[in-house]
Formats: sequence, C-alpha cells, structure tokens
Amino acid sequence: MKKTVISLLLGLSLLGLGNVWAADSVSISLTPDPTNPPSPQMGDWLKFHSVVGNPGAQAAHGVVAWISLVQVDPGHEQPVDLEDWSAHKAVTEAVLQPGQNVKVEWPIRLIQAGAYRVVISAVDRETGHVMTSPFVDFQVRRKPVVESGRILPVAFGIPALVLGVLAWRRYRGRAS
Amino acid sequence: MLVEIRELKLNLGSHVVLRNVNLTLEKGQVYGLLGPNGAGKSTTISVVTGLRAPTAGSVSVLGLDPAADPIQLHRRIGVLAEQAGFYDWMSASDYLRWVAGLYRITLSQAEIARQLERVGLEGKNPALIATYSRGMRQRLGLARALINQPELLILDEPTNGLDPRGRREIHDVLLDLSANHGVGILLCTHLLDDVDRLCTRIGIIAQGQTILEGTIADLLSAQNAAVRYRLRVEPGEAPDRLPADIILRARAGEWWHVEIPSHIEPASAWRQLLDANVRIDEIHREGGGLEDLYMAVTEAKEAA
Amino acid sequence: MNPIALIARKESGELLMSGRGLAWLLALSVIMSALSLLLVSNTELSLLDNAQVVYMVMGTVTALGALLAVVLGSDAVAGEQERGSLMPLLLAPVTPSQFVFGKMGGQVTGWVVMYLLSLPYVWAVGSSGQNLAQSVAYLALFGTPVVLGFGFLGIFLSARLRSVRAALLTSLIILMLLVSPLLLGPSLRQSVIGKVFDAVNPFSAAVNTFDSVVIDSQPLAMQGTRLAVTLVWLVLTAAFAIRSVRKMEI
Repeated sequence: MKKTVISLLLGLSLLGLGNVWAADSVSISLTPDPTNPPSPQMGDWLKFHSVVGNPGAQAAHGVVAWISLVQVDPGHEQPVDLEDWSAHKAVTEAVLQPGQNVKVEWPIRLIQAGAYRVVISAVDRETGHVMTSPFVDFQVRRKPVVESGRILPVAFGIPALVLGVLAWRRYRGRAS
Repeated sequence: MLVEIRELKLNLGSHVVLRNVNLTLEKGQVYGLLGPNGAGKSTTISVVTGLRAPTAGSVSVLGLDPAADPIQLHRRIGVLAEQAGFYDWMSASDYLRWVAGLYRITLSQAEIARQLERVGLEGKNPALIATYSRGMRQRLGLARALINQPELLILDEPTNGLDPRGRREIHDVLLDLSANHGVGILLCTHLLDDVDRLCTRIGIIAQGQTILEGTIADLLSAQNAAVRYRLRVEPGEAPDRLPADIILRARAGEWWHVEIPSHIEPASAWRQLLDANVRIDEIHREGGGLEDLYMAVTEAKEAA
Repeated sequence: MNPIALIARKESGELLMSGRGLAWLLALSVIMSALSLLLVSNTELSLLDNAQVVYMVMGTVTALGALLAVVLGSDAVAGEQERGSLMPLLLAPVTPSQFVFGKMGGQVTGWVVMYLLSLPYVWAVGSSGQNLAQSVAYLALFGTPVVLGFGFLGIFLSARLRSVRAALLTSLIILMLLVSPLLLGPSLRQSVIGKVFDAVNPFSAAVNTFDSVVIDSQPLAMQGTRLAVTLVWLVLTAAFAIRSVRKMEI
C-alpha cells in the first residue's frame, strides 16, 4: 500500500513537472538589422533577424514562428494589426532537427508613430507552451503627412484655374 | 411634279394615323395644307421629309422615295418645323455657318449677312440667339431652311410670332421664291389669311384623310362660297349704284354688308366700285370664302 | 468639314465654352482635390504605398469620367429634342452614325480635358514615382474605352427613352451596378457570380489593370483579356447607340 502510494505520487509529480522540466524545443533570437535607421520615422522600413533553432536532442515537429507587435505608449498600449506593416508574418518548418537553425528576416514598414515592442513567438506540436524571443523596442517618429510642396498647389491650383476660365467666360459674355 | 402622294396610309402600332392622304405639288406652286389639330398634317410632313416610312401608298418627293433615300432628299429640301430650336450660345451668323457646313456649303460673311437680311435680321449677327425674341427665332428658322437653296420648302406655321409687318415681309420672300425661283412650297398653317395670300393650291385634311384638294378658286367656286365685307360709305350714297358683282346683304346706317361671289376677284369688284364713283371710306372683310369653306368641310367630316 | 467634325466641334464648344460645361469641370476638379487631400492627410492612408494612392486616383478619374459621359450622353438626343433642336439635325443630310460619332466628339473632348486635368493629381500623389509613367499611359489606354463606352450607353438610352431624366437615371443605375464590385470588397468578389461579373465588367477590367500594372508592376502582355473586355464594351455600346438613333421615331 505504501509502495503504491509513493509510486503514484512520484508518477503524478513527474507528470506535473514534465512541462516545467521539459526544455524549450525551439530557441529564438531577435536582433535588429544594423542598417536600420537609428531614428526611424513613419514610412521607413525596419528589418529584424531571427534564428529559430533546435537546441534539444529531439526533433521538433510542426514549428510555427510568427512576429507580434504591440504599441507600448503609456495609455495607448494595444496590439498592432500587421495588415499594412508587414506582408511576412510567419514561417513554418515541418521538422526542425536537433541542432538545426533557420534564419528568418522580418521586414516591417512603419505605418504609425509611437513606441513599439516586437517579439517573435513560436510553437511546435510537442511543447505545451509558447516560446518567445527576447523583445526589441523601437520608437517611430511622426512624419508630416501632407507633401504640401506637391499636393497643395495642385489641389487648390486646378480648381482655381477652372474657376478663372469660368469667370473669364462670364466677363466676356457680359462685355459682349 | 415636286411632291406626289397617292393614298398614303400610316399606322403607328395599331392606331391608324393616316388613312388616305393625297397631295400634289408642282414646281413654283405654294400648297396650303390645312386641317384641324390632330388631323395628320404634321404626320404627313414627317412622311414627306423621310422621318417616317408609310404603311401603304406611294410618296414621291423630288423624284425620290423619302423613306429609302432621306439623306439625298435632305440635301435638296428646306424645312421650318413648328418648334424651331437653336443653340442659344451661338450667334445667328455662327449658327447659319454651322448649319451650312452640315450641307457641305461654305458661306462667306457677306453671304450670311445677305441670308439674314433676306429674312429681316440684318444687323443682328453678333447677338447671341439667346437674346432673340420669338419672331426673330422664326425668321432665323426660315433663314436656316433656305441655307441650301432648296427646291422644295416645307413650312409649318412660318409666321408664328410675327407682327403684321413681319408676316407681310415673310410672305414677300415666299412669293418671290415660288414665282421667281421655281421653289415649291408646302405650307402648313392655321392662318387662312396666309393661305389666301400665298397659296395656289390647298388640301384640307381631317381625321387622317384628304377631304378636299385643288386650287382655291376651283374649290370656292365648287362650294359656291362668297366672301363677306363691311363697307363704310359716304353719306348720301345709294345702294343701287353698287356694281352687279357686289351683292348687298344688309345696311346699318353708313355700313353696308355685302358679298362678293367666289368666282369674282375682290380686286375686280373694288375696281368696279371706283369706276362707278361710289365713295367708300372703309372696307373690312368679315369672312366667308376660304374660312367658310374650311369650316363647312371640317364640320361635315366630324359629323360624318 | 464633314458633319461628324462639325457636330463634334459644336458639342465641344458647348461643353467648354458654356457656363454649364465649365461648372461641371470645376465640380470634378474640386472632387479630385478633395480626394487628393484626403488620401494624403489620412495618417494611415498616407503611408500606403504611393502606387496604391495613384491606383485610387486613377480609379476615381475613370469613375468621374464615366459619370460625365453618361450625363453628356443622356442629353445627346433627348436633350436636343426637349430644346427643339433635334429636328433640324435630323432633317439635315446627316446619317445616324455621323450624328452619334459627332456627339461622341464632344464626349472625347470632355474626357481629354478631364484626363489632362487629372495628370497633375496623379503626379502630385505619386511622389515615389513607382510606375508613374505607366499609370499615365494605362489611364489613357483603359480609361478611354470605358468612359467613351458609357458615353455611347447614354446616347443609346437617350434615343430609346426620349427623356433626359429617364436616360440619366437609367445610365446612373447601370454605372453604379458596374462600379459596385469595387465597393463590395474582395471577399464578395470571390464568389462564382462575383468572379463572372468581374470578368465581364469593363470598369473592373480597367481598375484591376490599374492595380496589376501600377501596384504589382505587371506588363501589358498580361492585360490582354481585360483590354479586350473594354474594347468589346466600347464596340457594343457604339453599335447600340447607332441602331437606336437609326430606329428613332419622331
């Protein structure tokens, strides 16, 4: 009886500790590209590099790694929909062999000004939790959005031109 | 023969619009097409001008079948429709020059000025058509109809909107065209005075068919229609001094109500008055003649 | 000068020299200005690829061109009749096809003026310069048959319905119908009916070409089917217009 209880307890604890003790099957790094602008503004492109590797002894199956972006401005914390920011949102690997590394580039276009945090997440079929890379924070400066040098002269000039022709025709009509 | 229509029939869907229209117009003639509203005058005009094809009957205009060869026909005719629309933002001379271009005719400024002078619009060239009165538009419409020196002129109410002087001027133009240039004129009008003055032949249409056609003199004579006048005579004149051709119907003081039989030209009757030294101060026409003929014929048709 | 050129010159003069025609062009230029300012002042939109902004402007110019075309076309026959100026034209030695092509001459002038007015806008919003030359060329190549086709459609309806109001209303409904796929969005256009409609719709053909060429940098060779759709649209509407004028009853 005593042996049975001890064995049962040991088994349960092993089960319970399995997830804590099981090492991440995938390791992910995240580094900004050295050519990224030091003070990026809206419209700029940033590139991040990841290495998704398998440090373990077992192969990892069905690996999916994806990029996430959150805005961290105080009072405006929110996840960012990457629809317009990036066309390259995830990579998959059917099998990641032990010791295999996959290099991934993550280009994103800076759509909106603010403070942001980017992280790469990954899951595989066996591990029961999400594995993440370290964060990288960056700041996006606001850019003047109306290229007044081009738009304003056209937007106001063309209607003014047509109005001028209209007025000239009216004047000529009255004069004759 | 400029225009020859025989037993013209036209159906619009199941509705019979023209049943039996007959019309002949010779070169240099002025033909008056009369009839009540809705009789089929405008529809007949639309067939003559090739805008509608007849259902039955034969139509020949300038030797052409209007339905088969409208473009050729349009080169040789001029039309003044009842509703004469223009481009108000143009001047009269610009408009006439543009219309002439449609006929492949190039007009000089002098020629345009002559065309406008002919219809009484001299000096109106620079003004926009938008400023024109109704009468001026009518005159411009006539100038447009004459732009290609047509062999046949089709006029629908040509003196609409004109004052008596204007009407007389247009009459003179039309009489000159028919008498001196051999232009055949098909005149659609309700003004019997115009018909009296201009037309050599008339046709009366009612309910889609021709009920009377011929020269005015023949028709009046056949109908035995007399023309009535009111004369204001000098005091002391006696009715027995009236010539035999003038029949006294009634007297009221200095006013004598007389009739002249249809076969007597009024001018001849007045000449007889002058020869008889009858002193007449005023002559007023009261009716009869063509008007009585028209009323009698159209009322009879409606009653039938 | 032949009747087509004469009528075309009259129509062009009426469009450009009359207050009404110039007021139309003023309204269209104000719409283009508002759109340009809207596109580049919106925080998110301003960061769209400039090519996409150019694509939007091209689509708008084509739609506005089609709108002007149906307005002019609806007036072409019924308007002349209502003003009493149709009869003299029909009684002149002018064939139905000369009449229709003459009227279209005015439409061509309207479209050319609109196109030229739109070029500064296309240049101003396409500041990155991606495919700017192609956008100018394709707006002419695809916009022209689509817009003129709507002009012919307006003339056809004007001659058939004999009322400016009725012709304009019907033309606008057809225009809205053909523009609708672009308003519905991509998901609805993926259904079977949506795909078929997209394939035969001349407006879709033009706008999808703008997308392919200006944004995706596809070559002309890949736009053959869409070009054929716009040309078939132009030819069919022209044929219907001429036939309806020929069979017009006075």
